[in-house]
Amino acid sequence: MRPLSKVALATAFALSLGLGSAEAATEIEMFFPVPVEGKLAKEMQNLMERFNAAHPDIKAKAVYTGSYDETNLKTHAAIKAGRPPAAVIMSANFVLEYQIGDEIEALDPLVQADGETSDGFMNRFWPALHGNARFAGKIWAVPFHNSTPLLYYNTDHFKEVGLDPANPPKTWAEWSDAAKKLTKRDGDKTVRWGLMLPSNYDYLGWIMTALDMSNGGQYYNTEYGGEVYYDQPSMRGALTFVDNLIHRDKVMPEGVTDGKVVSTAFFAGEASMVSLSTGSLSFIRENMKQGNAVAFVPANIRNGRAIGGASLLMPKGLTAEQKKASWTLINWLTSPEISGHWSRFTGYFAPNKAAYDLPEMKTFLAENPDAKVAVDQLAYARSWFATYSTVAVRKALEDEVQAVLSGKKKPLEALKAAQAKAEEIMAPYVAATAMNLPK
Amino acid sequence: MTAIEVTDAFTNTAPRAVAVARRHTGLALALLAPSLVFLVLFTYWPIVQVALDALTLTTFGSKAVTYGFGNFARLFDDAAFAHAVTNNLIYAVGTVVPSIALALALALGLEEATGLATTIRTVVFFPVLIPLVAAAALFLFVFLPGIGLLDHHLAKLGAPRTNWLGDPDVALFSLIGLTVWKNAAYYMLFFLAGLQAIPADLYEAARIEGASAVQRFRRVTLPLLGPTFAFVVVIALVNVVTQVDHVVVLTKGGPSDSTNLVLFYIYQQAHENFDAGKAAAATVVSLTALAALSVLSLRTLERAVHYET
Amino acid sequence: MAASRSPRRPEPARLLGIAFLATVALVWSTPLAWMIVASFRPQSFGGLDMASLVPNFTPTLANWREALDSADFARLYLNTVIVCLGILMVQLVTITLAGWAFARLEFRGRTVLFYAFLLQLMLVPPILIVPNLVTITRLGLYDTLTAVMAPYFASAFGVFLMRQTFRTIPRDYEEAAVMEGAAWWQVVARVLVPLARPGLVAFSIVSVVAHWNEFLWPLMVVSSTENQTLTIGLASFTRGAESASQWGVIAAGTFLVAATLLSALALFPRQFVNSFPFFGVK
Repeated sequence: MRPLSKVALATAFALSLGLGSAEAATEIEMFFPVPVEGKLAKEMQNLMERFNAAHPDIKAKAVYTGSYDETNLKTHAAIKAGRPPAAVIMSANFVLEYQIGDEIEALDPLVQADGETSDGFMNRFWPALHGNARFAGKIWAVPFHNSTPLLYYNTDHFKEVGLDPANPPKTWAEWSDAAKKLTKRDGDKTVRWGLMLPSNYDYLGWIMTALDMSNGGQYYNTEYGGEVYYDQPSMRGALTFVDNLIHRDKVMPEGVTDGKVVSTAFFAGEASMVSLSTGSLSFIRENMKQGNAVAFVPANIRNGRAIGGASLLMPKGLTAEQKKASWTLINWLTSPEISGHWSRFTGYFAPNKAAYDLPEMKTFLAENPDAKVAVDQLAYARSWFATYSTVAVRKALEDEVQAVLSGKKKPLEALKAAQAKAEEIMAPYVAATAMNLPK
Repeated sequence: MTAIEVTDAFTNTAPRAVAVARRHTGLALALLAPSLVFLVLFTYWPIVQVALDALTLTTFGSKAVTYGFGNFARLFDDAAFAHAVTNNLIYAVGTVVPSIALALALALGLEEATGLATTIRTVVFFPVLIPLVAAAALFLFVFLPGIGLLDHHLAKLGAPRTNWLGDPDVALFSLIGLTVWKNAAYYMLFFLAGLQAIPADLYEAARIEGASAVQRFRRVTLPLLGPTFAFVVVIALVNVVTQVDHVVVLTKGGPSDSTNLVLFYIYQQAHENFDAGKAAAATVVSLTALAALSVLSLRTLERAVHYET
Repeated sequence: MAASRSPRRPEPARLLGIAFLATVALVWSTPLAWMIVASFRPQSFGGLDMASLVPNFTPTLANWREALDSADFARLYLNTVIVCLGILMVQLVTITLAGWAFARLEFRGRTVLFYAFLLQLMLVPPILIVPNLVTITRLGLYDTLTAVMAPYFASAFGVFLMRQTFRTIPRDYEEAAVMEGAAWWQVVARVLVPLARPGLVAFSIVSVVAHWNEFLWPLMVVSSTENQTLTIGLASFTRGAESASQWGVIAAGTFLVAATLLSALALFPRQFVNSFPFFGVK
């Protein structure tokens, strides 16, 4: 069991006091985060009303719990108190930690009670999403909304420098060439950057995963939460590629660039190509005046990138009725109709493949070819980075990569330091698992 | 503060003083009780609790609990903590010195209560009233490289693009700039009050002796503002340790921990890494530092903040 | 210092001084000026002139509409007002009683207790967030507005201020009241509190400003939307991790949060400016 902060416990007690007693209809609570504030939270309340109207025997309440991280904190707490929410929409790469902590239900029995096999159930969802949902032999989560990094590019700039907007870069060589052509200088001042990548905490880890995977890498052991591959050739190549773009070719700004800076620069025409989440798709499509399009993130060894987004999980400690009600809610939220509706509303893609067979989704994709690119890219997507103490292990890499982006360190030494730091953080887990040998 | 009369308000007769003092202990405790309840709950008890947590050791995969200084050892081994402490020291000097210099300069310049001075006072005072989170949200745009408020206007003067929050050599100083902008006028007000309290005849006397303006400033103004300085320094230092809202909103401690401050480090250990032991140990260390600072400054503070009876 | 007493400075030095003040005023007000201009600017995602301080010819309310739509500002405002006033009410009682006890009563352990009080001046609640959360939860107050307020009900700063203020009041007043047969609490309520009003007002303003602007503690102790305060609501604007930034909306939201105190300052500059240094630096 992982050491849990006092705060989590404290929060747990608090939550346990706030829950009402069971009435005729089974009352359940679902925690949900909203990475984009405001309208999404309102839309979730609308969904709950629809659900309750359609299921008179269940009274479901959606509790908005802040960002992905805050939702994680509050969920841990509630489970410890023995009064967990019936369902949580959890950042997909945190699911592993709940399984390690033995805090969530395996969903296979519920699937089988519905007369479905575990394989059959998982096959409803895109293969790329399976890794973060089904591992250690069981199903632990159901994908709710997902994203991948995309390459956004300014088609006006492409035309201006003689690049073909219909033929975006596919390899790192083409990518780097395009970035050089697109960069505009005035003396030694750069007035337009060929490429920008977000490199603030969290976003950077995700982007590095994508580059590493495009370079044939694995980033982490998908089967075991105590191993990462930060200092391997695939990662060294990826980081050196970025280092060169910044310090040798000078087509990308030095230092850390926040995701907000990247999107603002792209809107303003200060950056010609950027890599951002699928989650930005609707917003950029609706608001950007200059011509823009999206493409796959270019590859070196192979096409590859990690998914992002959130999944529904079911904490342990529910009554039989709550479990049943929760499972009904989870299935309803991930059904093709609701999944598709949420996807069109948010820009995330729908995890349920059948959502794309519905007529309204076909119309939507025909009208928005960029959304189709996002879906097509799923064929090459892989699981999202998840280990013991995910956030700290990710930060170990990010701190060192940021040092390279700032010109403070060379890729190899930085990655060796990152690997050492990550291993130090995971050591307690490794000692209790892979290195826990017969005496 | 040295000569406080402690005579009783109601009985001036000396022989009865002892009895009175005893009688008043009950009343005094009754009057202090409401404050004491909350102090015990939210100041004294938490200190005890944090100290206990800091000494509690747990291991992954085992329910066994032991006690010792292991959390402190891990804390002092953690380069990120050392980094946070160093950053906090730079941040302290970097914000306190310029804020106070600026505050004093503003107070001297705006001492006369003319219409213009009052207007400028009000303008520079606006940032004090803006929540630090709100200020940080604004400064997200101010610091935007290339197209932000700062770079857009500096570029017209020929300055290069600066990655204000993304360059590890610059980011901490950007936060320092924000803090100075936010707090300088607050300290200015204390200096204004301090200046008003300096008797005019002292200046007159100095002038008669032929002292220049600079000499009058050094010999009269500065010494007499001593208590004000002490007071403002203490307030400014408390702000340095206890305000990290802008770190939460703007940088999350990055790049590469270059803007991580001690309180944010504690927050990270507790809420991101779920490392209660390390968070408690770091809290104990900062509490010790603050307590030391308190002891050093309490006397100065009391001398600074007094009213003539 | 009155103008007549001020030594007439030599002209160049004076000009330099004015230039300095003008520069500071300009630099200090620019972010706020931008905030106002940008909040009325149409969302023009195509240009590089987002930082321009020149207002647009066709101002729009779109940003304001979107900001107001993103959060329940009425609720946020109400909660913030409840928190600030709730804290203040309790504080005024606790600091007056304790301040008077320290100023006028002699009792054993007075010095020790006084220093124990002053400890809180430094060991402010943000440092003690983790254990305080445990306490709040044990008291069953998690996710309530009371939880946001409780740690601030006792104020060392306030006690200290009131003690000093009571000391400035000559004892004759109290003695006269005592002669007339008033009890100690009547003396405090009818004589001392009215005389200490400037101190109480000053403390009130500083307290309200501090808690209006507070962020970290309410962020930790409140989870449901119904209990959020303004600063928490604002932080969610700026957080959208996977969304592109809408600077006009952020500007409007920031303005909404800051507006109340800023207009109070604009309306009553003297009260504000005089209140802060009341902490009595002599």
